[in-house]
Amino acid sequence: MESITIESLFIEQTKYTPSISLDVEKQHFQIIGKSYPENTFVFYSETMAWLERYFTQSLDGKTVIDFEIIYFNSSSSKLFFDLLDLLEEASKQHQVEINWIYDEENETALEAGEDFKEDFESLVFNLVEK
Amino acid sequence: MEQNKLIAELENLKENFDATIKYALRDARRQEKIMVRSDQRQRREYDELQAKLEEIQALNAEIEESQKEVLFTMGAIGESRSRETFNHVRRVAEYSKLIALKLGVKPSTAELLKMASPMHDIGKVGIPDDILKKPGKLTHDEFEIMKSHAVLGYEMLNVSSRPLLKAAAIVAHEHHEKFDGTGYPRGLKGKDIHVFGRITAIADVFDALGSDRCYKQAWNDEAIFDLIRKNSGTHFDPEIVDIFFTYLPSFMRIRDTFRDF
Repeated sequence: MESITIESLFIEQTKYTPSISLDVEKQHFQIIGKSYPENTFVFYSETMAWLERYFTQSLDGKTVIDFEIIYFNSSSSKLFFDLLDLLEEASKQHQVEINWIYDEENETALEAGEDFKEDFESLVFNLVEK
Repeated sequence: MEQNKLIAELENLKENFDATIKYALRDARRQEKIMVRSDQRQRREYDELQAKLEEIQALNAEIEESQKEVLFTMGAIGESRSRETFNHVRRVAEYSKLIALKLGVKPSTAELLKMASPMHDIGKVGIPDDILKKPGKLTHDEFEIMKSHAVLGYEMLNVSSRPLLKAAAIVAHEHHEKFDGTGYPRGLKGKDIHVFGRITAIADVFDALGSDRCYKQAWNDEAIFDLIRKNSGTHFDPEIVDIFFTYLPSFMRIRDTFRDF
């Protein structure tokens, strides 16, 4: 594995997009909020590229990814599948754990979490009620 | 050898094909899942929005209704002290709205006036009972005190920046002004009197003359019409008097709908 330095990434939440925090030191990533970007794939492209680079490093210990998505559009769901593909691929070489955090009353968020969990059997995918 | 190569190529192709199909199938399934979920979600969100909208509409209606009730009740308080009736303020409200619409005032403004006009005599809460309820004619001094209800009402209502209370303040202040400048409290003349004041003036007089009051009996209709006609241009805005007679049947219908029992 190549040795690269990679900076943490932080994107602020807006009315239509979630906050994204990719903390290298803690090996902890968070995507929190609503996901209705005008162009979903453009909005997440930086994050996707960042994650790809991140997993090219050699890593100690596990990397935790928290998803806490309240509302999202269908292209965001497609993108989350792609993102989870990426994580599944990474999990072959690194320890990756995903927390899908949902509010007890948010049925939609729970269902989405169940769908993802079902599709990515090899991933450590926790459904976490807030 | 040739045969083997072909087999190998075909096997290779099959493998690629299988792998591609496997991914395509996976993607198609995901896509399907996304669509189904998305439809469910949209429907749920739509239902939620509808429910919230209905709730807000109900709340709005509730607010408007309470506002109306408060205004009419406050108006009736003013009236009750002079033994005029709750229906008097309702009739004046309806007459005022009708006149406003016929004058070409915006419907929303006409509605505002309808809501505000019941407050025209609210200042009477500040007038002593012995004057307010005196049977018979007031002395000069008593009448001066009585007249102060216009300014009292104005001062009570003018503390708010809400359009409705602003309108009510204008009505309270100007409903005793006369077109020729001989009214009170300010002796405003012609169109210097706010249209709300000019409208309520005639609505109030028309209704008051047709009702029994502590100091007088109800007039008959012909006598009322005669007075309104005679006072066109002196007490009342001639344009409004014209409207009154043009749409007289509508006014009579309102009087009938909200008559005193």
